[in-house]
Amino acid sequence: MRTLLKNGRILDPSQEMDRLGDVLIEDDQIVEVGDISDGSDIDEIYDCTNLWIAPGLVDPHVHLREPGSEHKETIVTGTQAAAAAGYTTICCMPNTNPPLDSPALIDFILDRAASPEAGGVFVAPVGALTKGMKGHELSDLSSMKRAGIVAASDEEFPIQNSRVMTQAMETCVQLDLPIMAHCEDASLTHDGCMNEGAVSAVLGLKGMPRSAEEIAVVRNCLLSLHTGCQLHIMRVSTWGAVEMVRQAKFLGAPVTCEICPMHFTFTDEAIGDFDTRFKITPPLRTQVDIDLLLQALNDGTIDCISSDHSPHASHEVDVPFAEAPFGSAQLESTVGVTLTMLTHKGIISPLETIRKLSTMPAKILRLDAGTLKPGETPVAQACVIDPNCEWTFDRNRSFSKSKNTPFHGMKLKGKTMLTFCGSEIYRDALFGEDRYSIAE
Amino acid sequence: MARNLLGIRLLQREDIEELLEIAGDLKLRTLEGRAVPQIHGQVLGMLFFENSTRTRVSFEQAAHYLGIKVTNFATTSSSMAKGETLKDTILTLRYERLNGLVMRHRLSGAPSLAAKYFGGPVINAGDGQHEHPTQALGDALTILERKGDLEGLIVAIVGDVKHSRVARSNAWLLSKMGAEVRFVGPRTLVPEASGALPGKIFYDLASGIDGADVIICLRLQRERMEEGLLSSIGEYTSMYQINKDTLRYADSECLVMHPGPLNRGIEVDDVAADSERSAITSQIENGIFVRMAALHWAFQADEPAPAKKKAKV
Repeated sequence: MRTLLKNGRILDPSQEMDRLGDVLIEDDQIVEVGDISDGSDIDEIYDCTNLWIAPGLVDPHVHLREPGSEHKETIVTGTQAAAAAGYTTICCMPNTNPPLDSPALIDFILDRAASPEAGGVFVAPVGALTKGMKGHELSDLSSMKRAGIVAASDEEFPIQNSRVMTQAMETCVQLDLPIMAHCEDASLTHDGCMNEGAVSAVLGLKGMPRSAEEIAVVRNCLLSLHTGCQLHIMRVSTWGAVEMVRQAKFLGAPVTCEICPMHFTFTDEAIGDFDTRFKITPPLRTQVDIDLLLQALNDGTIDCISSDHSPHASHEVDVPFAEAPFGSAQLESTVGVTLTMLTHKGIISPLETIRKLSTMPAKILRLDAGTLKPGETPVAQACVIDPNCEWTFDRNRSFSKSKNTPFHGMKLKGKTMLTFCGSEIYRDALFGEDRYSIAE
Repeated sequence: MARNLLGIRLLQREDIEELLEIAGDLKLRTLEGRAVPQIHGQVLGMLFFENSTRTRVSFEQAAHYLGIKVTNFATTSSSMAKGETLKDTILTLRYERLNGLVMRHRLSGAPSLAAKYFGGPVINAGDGQHEHPTQALGDALTILERKGDLEGLIVAIVGDVKHSRVARSNAWLLSKMGAEVRFVGPRTLVPEASGALPGKIFYDLASGIDGADVIICLRLQRERMEEGLLSSIGEYTSMYQINKDTLRYADSECLVMHPGPLNRGIEVDDVAADSERSAITSQIENGIFVRMAALHWAFQADEPAPAKKKAKV
């Protein structure tokens, strides 16, 4: 079986490639990229004129909710949503019930992800850093690593005690395991539900000050600098946090960070009349933050873009603001929002867009992904994106179980058309029939 | 058409003027023993998720004068305590054919959610640290009666602005009506972000109430001490209590107001609370008339003020 992705704009940051050309997939492997030397015996052709051909996208931060909260999302529905968005590898977070703090649970995740009903993408689990994510005793990280975790994190319950965090970092240096850290000083955010500032003052909602995030970023960066532990900071939201990351990188600390679309798209004013779809942690900040986050995306201080897909059931979010859970469904809107808010506005180039959505997260978490180079991934991982496709996000057409998304009804420019992970795992309804042909 | 009274922030100045005008008219009729326009055939649900005898009684009195039937819900023993969501409770009340809701809730924004599902008028009787619109209307009616106008008055709101829905509603109302609003208190209780509300911040009592025409004292919750926001009651009292000595900084005709319940000897002393300048008892009485006005306004949005209402045929 020889499949040709023909005449697209090939964007592969792993080889700094931005050119027009073809990609040839033979059986489940990419065999040639660019100019195809042997164009004979092609079985099927996808005409990619005016479309991007890129490595399959990599999402470092997804909540699949299984086990324990299957009413929000399952591994099956979450991976289907990922496939429809162009992702071929996603990292799932350990804050499930029970938390992913043992090798048996990692086996369970990988089994479910490999089941035929699932979306056909690779799931790279992130293990809980401490037992039960309670922040006291370290999990059995070595056996979890053997079971397949790619990083460790206590996610929404970040380790508060600096001694425990130091021990976690020392252990992870030895195991050569990155730590992913949600940065929050809980003593400053207790019961908080949105950014502390003008909007929280008007709405009478308890605020989460920016210093709560920044203090934790500083502490974690310093511990990373002194222990040498690879630290990936999850979804930064303040200009101060980004400035601290910039400083840590300057000092030589092995630190990277990500941002999610919510934080470069909305400010806390979006909450309006207590709209819980805009409740997220860290919270939506202000326009000054967005301006400086965009600058950090542009200069590379922010390494990559995650979806922070945090699905919830509708009944859980249709409650008073303070009682609503943090987060919303994001997987299927991330590409469109990123292209609309960043790429088309000239904040990042198309090649940088793919770097941040694919090559960089793969590099940070050392995944065999994020590249079109033949033989570098276990199977062919690629996606085709129409950067100019104008569409309106409709939650009723999403694969995710969760319909609580602030992007519902938003006009976006840029959409994933095809996803390949070994074979075609997703084809969008907007991908023209005339673009696909089977050779005689 | 029904309308909601969820907060003062979302009202226009014309709405506030209309509400105060209706309240003034209803008060006059009541005091003169004349008939008060009735709202027939309506059942009002009193949904108090947070205890408040004062506000509940005031609304019940208002409804009573207007001929509205009132149904109370003991929210602690109701289905809410059995795990029903607020949305489902509101939908239940809607299909039990209640016509309006008065709602008090410990969480900011809960009445907005109720309004989304109820479909009839919802009146906010205090939500979290967000708004308490009828308290502000009662306070405004009281100030109007004693000062003649709201425009140009200097009103100092003294105390725990950060956690006060009364402070918020009053600030929105008075500023929309052209008064100069000042917030006075310690930085922990009047944080910089309070500047997003329509008022000027003062950390020093003397300058904050300098020349004030009205002082609204806010109740100090004891839990603020436990939270470490204040070192001690004595420290607060020595800096921010309204008493005979500190009142000298204000205008000689300055009104002293308090939403109640009072902590006598803490935010206000006996002399200030019981003097001729105190308007505290008028606030309580006017609370009833503005709640009557709010019910008229909410239930009968299409009809003119009751003063001009046609007699029933």
